[in-house]
Amino acid sequence: MAQIEVRGLFAAYDKADVLHDISLDVKPGKITCLLGSNGAGKSTLIRAILGLTPPHTGKILLDGHDITGLPTHKIVSRGIAAIPEGRKMFPKLTVTENLRLGAFQVADNKVIRERMDTVFEAFPRLAERRDQLAGTMSGGEQAMVSIGRGLMGAPKILLIDEPSLGLSPLYVKENFRIIEGIREQGITVFLVEQNVRQTLAIADYGYVLSGGKLVGEGTAAALSSDSAVHAAYFG
Amino acid sequence: MDLGLIAQYLANGIMLGTMYALVAVGFTLFFGVLDVIKFSHGDVLMLGTFAGFTVWLGLQAAGIVNPWLQLVIILIASMAFTAAIGAMIAKWLVLPLKKAPPLNTLLLTLMLGTAIREAVRLFYPNGSNPKAFPALLPSASIDLGGFLLRADSVILVAAGLSLIAGLNLVLNRTRLGLAIRAVAQDEETARTMGINYMLVVLATFAIGSGVAAFAGIMNGLYYSEINFGMGLLLGLIGFSAAIVGGLGNLYGAILGGFIFAGLQVVGAALLPFASAYKDVFAFAVVIAIMAWKPTGLIPERTSDRV
Repeated sequence: MAQIEVRGLFAAYDKADVLHDISLDVKPGKITCLLGSNGAGKSTLIRAILGLTPPHTGKILLDGHDITGLPTHKIVSRGIAAIPEGRKMFPKLTVTENLRLGAFQVADNKVIRERMDTVFEAFPRLAERRDQLAGTMSGGEQAMVSIGRGLMGAPKILLIDEPSLGLSPLYVKENFRIIEGIREQGITVFLVEQNVRQTLAIADYGYVLSGGKLVGEGTAAALSSDSAVHAAYFG
Repeated sequence: MDLGLIAQYLANGIMLGTMYALVAVGFTLFFGVLDVIKFSHGDVLMLGTFAGFTVWLGLQAAGIVNPWLQLVIILIASMAFTAAIGAMIAKWLVLPLKKAPPLNTLLLTLMLGTAIREAVRLFYPNGSNPKAFPALLPSASIDLGGFLLRADSVILVAAGLSLIAGLNLVLNRTRLGLAIRAVAQDEETARTMGINYMLVVLATFAIGSGVAAFAGIMNGLYYSEINFGMGLLLGLIGFSAAIVGGLGNLYGAILGGFIFAGLQVVGAALLPFASAYKDVFAFAVVIAIMAWKPTGLIPERTSDRV
């Protein structure tokens, strides 16, 4: 059974980003990707799953339970976390406070400290800068904070929205390596990206979104040679 | 001017500054989490003060006459009542207008304030006349060479400053405070972190309003009277203080409160022939400061809130 099931979803965020009858599955322990160019509606789907933009019609199921229309904090409490597009740091909060917010629903300080140590182990740079305001850090460092924050909640499913946006090629490569590592930890990943080649290199299964509609799906290997993918970008 | 008189002005300024800061932090908190100006803030403060006064009447009738006990009870009652009113206003009047232009919220709360003020004037027993507020604090004083340091003033200022320090602690050291600061900076990302947005907004309005009620009781104890219009000027001063300091910034609100009190005191000292115009003087200087620093003395930078 899929961990997230989207069924017949219609949603609109702003006027340009409209989703039209989207149905897809995110399988547990896998990286499922959603490819599409700007304005295809990728972020609207993430917003719908998180309850930030409730859909007009359609259903979103998490582990078989309907979460459509629930407030965001209740959806998060069921084990979904997000690394939002543009990283979305709290710029005037310290690195530590940003990470703390990733585990906001956890009250046990011991658990929080352990998870923070794990993040600092993975990103030693953040440990050095734990008291620095997140807004004063470089783009690459902010990406680390955003990833670390997403992991602080120890989610079952991580939604990752355009992690490579605005990063230097070196960081982009590093980011994809980290996402593979997240799957190794048994966390389900739903990855939204424009970067086709590198995304398909790590993904297990993918969907292609164009103009708010799904125009293709398949295993990463199949999509790599699929003309629909190319059409969605270049046609 | 002799030293005793200067000390007297200074003591007044600190007292008023504390009071104004307590009102201003509410404006800054509300603006921080919701980007709104809640103009009914002063009248909610007045309502809370009248609630406290009513509880005092009840205590007198019930034969509970220990002034310390009375003070603690009316403070708790008035702050809790006002906190509940603040949360209700947020839930039923301010949040439903979230998608409307901010001007609508401003107008709505302006009308609400008028309605509260008129309701107290009309429906509170003999509400159109000032009420003598009881002196619940010791009236002892020490003579410091021409300057009488009054015990009640010292207690009021100490309590008010402790409340501000406590609020600062809540904002910077607790989970709720972290949530309030996160919501103030980026509401959607805060929700994505699993923060119950509605609860944080209601808590913020409750805290801001409860703190204002403290300022109202302080005002009653200081001037020994309360009236249905007291919230109008206090609200306007608190709003000006928050703007002068830099709306959305806690320290700015505190600074603004003390600046306004300082201006009033300086106005009263420099214009002894016309000390009744001290408010005119203070507001005129505030206008000048706003022309010089349109975004306040501690301006809000990108997403810099609370």
